Amino acid sequence: MSNRTLPRLLQSPAVFLLLIWMLVPLSMTLYFSFIRYVLNSLRKPEWTTPALSNWRGFGNYEFVLKSKDFLFAIQNSLLIVCSILFLTVILGVLIAVLINKSFPGQGIVRVLLISPFFVMPAVNAVLWINMILDPVLGLQGIAVGGINDMVDGLRAAPGIGWFFSLWPELTPISFRATQTSAYAVIIMVTWQWTPFAVLIFMTSLQSEDQQQKEAAILDGASTWSQFRFLTLPHLGRPIAIVVMIQAIFHLSLYAEIEIVSRGNGNKNLPYLIGEFANNNIGAASATGIFAVILANIVAIFLLRMVGKTLME
Amino acid sequence: MGRIVLEHVTKSFGNTQVIPPLDLTIEDGEFAVFVGPSGCGKSTLLRLIAGLEDTTSGKVVIDDQDMTEISPSKRGLAMVFQSYALYPHMTVRKNIAFPMRMAGMSEEEQNKRIETAAASLNLTDYLDRKPGQLSGGQRQRVAIGRAIVRDPSAFLFDEPLSNLDAALRVGMRLEITEMHERMQTTMIYVTHDQVEAMTMANKIVVLQAGVIEQVGSPLELYHKPRNKFVAGFIGSPKMNLIEGAEAKKHNAETIGIRPEHVVVSNTDGLWKGTVGVAEHLGSDTFVHVHGIEGCDPMTVRAAGDATFKHGEDIYLTPDETQIHKFDAAGLRIE
Amino acid sequence: MAIVAQSSKYGQISRTLLAWIVGLLFFFPIFWLVLTSFKTDADAVKPEFLFFFTPTLENYTNMTENYNYWRFATNSVITSVFATIFALAVGIPCAYSMAFNPTRATKDVLMWMLSTKMLPAAAVLYPMTFLTKSLGLFDTHFMVIVVLCLINLPIVIWMLFTYFKEIPKEIIEAGQMDGVNTWGEIKEILIPLAWGGIASTALLCFIFCWNEAYWTVRLTTTDAATLSKLIEGNRAPEGLFFGRLSAVSAAAVGPIIVLGWFCQKQLVQGLSFGAVK
Repeated sequence: MSNRTLPRLLQSPAVFLLLIWMLVPLSMTLYFSFIRYVLNSLRKPEWTTPALSNWRGFGNYEFVLKSKDFLFAIQNSLLIVCSILFLTVILGVLIAVLINKSFPGQGIVRVLLISPFFVMPAVNAVLWINMILDPVLGLQGIAVGGINDMVDGLRAAPGIGWFFSLWPELTPISFRATQTSAYAVIIMVTWQWTPFAVLIFMTSLQSEDQQQKEAAILDGASTWSQFRFLTLPHLGRPIAIVVMIQAIFHLSLYAEIEIVSRGNGNKNLPYLIGEFANNNIGAASATGIFAVILANIVAIFLLRMVGKTLME
Repeated sequence: MGRIVLEHVTKSFGNTQVIPPLDLTIEDGEFAVFVGPSGCGKSTLLRLIAGLEDTTSGKVVIDDQDMTEISPSKRGLAMVFQSYALYPHMTVRKNIAFPMRMAGMSEEEQNKRIETAAASLNLTDYLDRKPGQLSGGQRQRVAIGRAIVRDPSAFLFDEPLSNLDAALRVGMRLEITEMHERMQTTMIYVTHDQVEAMTMANKIVVLQAGVIEQVGSPLELYHKPRNKFVAGFIGSPKMNLIEGAEAKKHNAETIGIRPEHVVVSNTDGLWKGTVGVAEHLGSDTFVHVHGIEGCDPMTVRAAGDATFKHGEDIYLTPDETQIHKFDAAGLRIE
Repeated sequence: MAIVAQSSKYGQISRTLLAWIVGLLFFFPIFWLVLTSFKTDADAVKPEFLFFFTPTLENYTNMTENYNYWRFATNSVITSVFATIFALAVGIPCAYSMAFNPTRATKDVLMWMLSTKMLPAAAVLYPMTFLTKSLGLFDTHFMVIVVLCLINLPIVIWMLFTYFKEIPKEIIEAGQMDGVNTWGEIKEILIPLAWGGIASTALLCFIFCWNEAYWTVRLTTTDAATLSKLIEGNRAPEGLFFGRLSAVSAAAVGPIIVLGWFCQKQLVQGLSFGAVK
């Protein structure tokens, strides 16, 4: 008996829904990853319907492992996620420390800073790749062009012209090539998520023990030692949380890659799965299973690291 | 109306048993105080009676009815929480009305009871305020008001005064005691403060580690503590417990003497020691004496204007009739 | 106190300046988007009209014929609103149950919920397409709502859980003594008390639904397509339509940014799952 039975049962609808949401599609993926299954095949029309008779064992996995895109996609996924994490944490800490102490207009700067976080990923990508990073028509192209024109004009100037004639002509970077488009993705996502890190770190800084700081000042600690020995350790937990939450979002990064990189060879795991899924469902599913395994490794690692502090 | 009986009640959280089998009867109209150090299970016991915790085994009987399986609100009990647990989003009036509204009482009757309760608790002027705008003492009164209007068969208090400052605590203590005198309803009151227990209770239940050490009236506990734990817990300052040769003289393992039962002298006495710290309270002086064999320091009460200096010699003579004797197991020897 | 405030006036000014520069720098792309949206498509790519140009509203007035904006916006509103409502309807009882009636498994269940959020959506892309198509739900509002609700449910539950945990358990217990049943606990005590937390959870859930760009792109074509799909579909104009693309983008993100300003403080507590206050 318990008069608490009903309240306890109230969590079951949510648990049940999430369980279905997780298990049904995932078990289908698992099934598809072991059979030959393509959407269009003139040669083998029987492969276009999923059936156990098309069993392929680990064939799809071998196929995926052997494809050069797979390794590239994994490397690229890790490159993108790790770079973003690194940049957002460093920038986040620096900016948070900068704007933490009150100054004229702090509230407005805070609002300006947080805005990128709410931008829709699709808009983020379109905005950056077209209007800012485009080598000809974007701000980058215009800026580079402007500098070149200016330097060009100065070359003709008497007296100092020799100095500027030593300068090379600048060429704008195209962010639509395979590798550079990954950098474009890193730039735009860092722009979007640094505000999030700043906000979390700032909130944490406000709870920093001021008496401890005053004691440190009386003990003769310099500003740098205060930062190094008091502030940074204090930020340990928020940093872990920022890393975990961003990892959740960035491992499944899709819209930015889709918009920036379509057709130029740059890809991460979600994008590669999308490519396979245009026809080869078996391979897409096998890649999906690899993505799940990768996500689980990261998840276990992160939840171990952060889980305990969350529960306190 | 309001006789509460616990029969072989036990409570376990997981594998740890916090309350071993326990029997207790609280008679109708009694003011019972559960007292003990923190973590002794006194609050758990109260929550078992209230129905906020399920018993692991055993029965809770209220007015000859087995209530073990009954939900908290149907047990006819009202509870006042340590943090008052007022509903912050409701005005004082709505807070007090809430239990009656839940019981489906008529609006008219609700208002009548609210007015009566507010008048007796000095809350009339505050009925339209939110709890956040009240002082600690006023919040406490609202919590009591919310309990009174239900006309319960017993009131349960869970350390209700521990969030108040010292002066207010004494005042509220009196108010609650007076309320009991007036209403003659059963009250069960949990506290870790033995002064509250002594001043308010008809019946004190001393608990340690989920076990009842002694049940009795305040003076019974003071004069005849059943064991060393109760002896040390009841009374302020604490009873001095003396071991060794001095105890052997009385054919006991340990003897106890309260600070107020020792005669203090500058010149002669049974025991000789040196003055450590003398605490002047005005009415009394408590002197902490070092150098007494088997008990260091020993606390004794002297007159309010007594002057003792640190390091001075001091002579103590216990009142032989007030010596408590305990055996090796810590139990009282008569 | 004097010790702390010892930084020089010069340092104070340069710090203020630097902070403003950083703030403006981060806001600049959004400013640029809005600025471009007032330029004609032709002016938008001309360096001579970088900051000085004749502003025009034609990109906004033509948004409907150029992009069918309102149709997509309506879909975004419908799907985000209903997904948020459903997520709260399932999430509030669940978070209530976990916060006030925890069992030994509660912590693990919460962690498991968070881990479902880490599951890469792409891994189940085809099964989802397959299922929705065979159930006739592909490109329907219902499907988008269900999916948006489910992907945000873990975060909604986590946020609500942290807000509910801050309510003293004693208040709920007082309610039990006062005679409320389980539904009454939620309706009379929990929801009024945690109103602020629930509102900011709803706001954030709405923002996440609005910005979602995987399932809304992959599981819709036209009928239930949201603004994410619209922007994604017009992603590569090669400089042709910067003006009108900016206008529709600004119209897609503007309301959300403003909403975001209102809930930025709650965002921290919610998204850090209460671990940073």
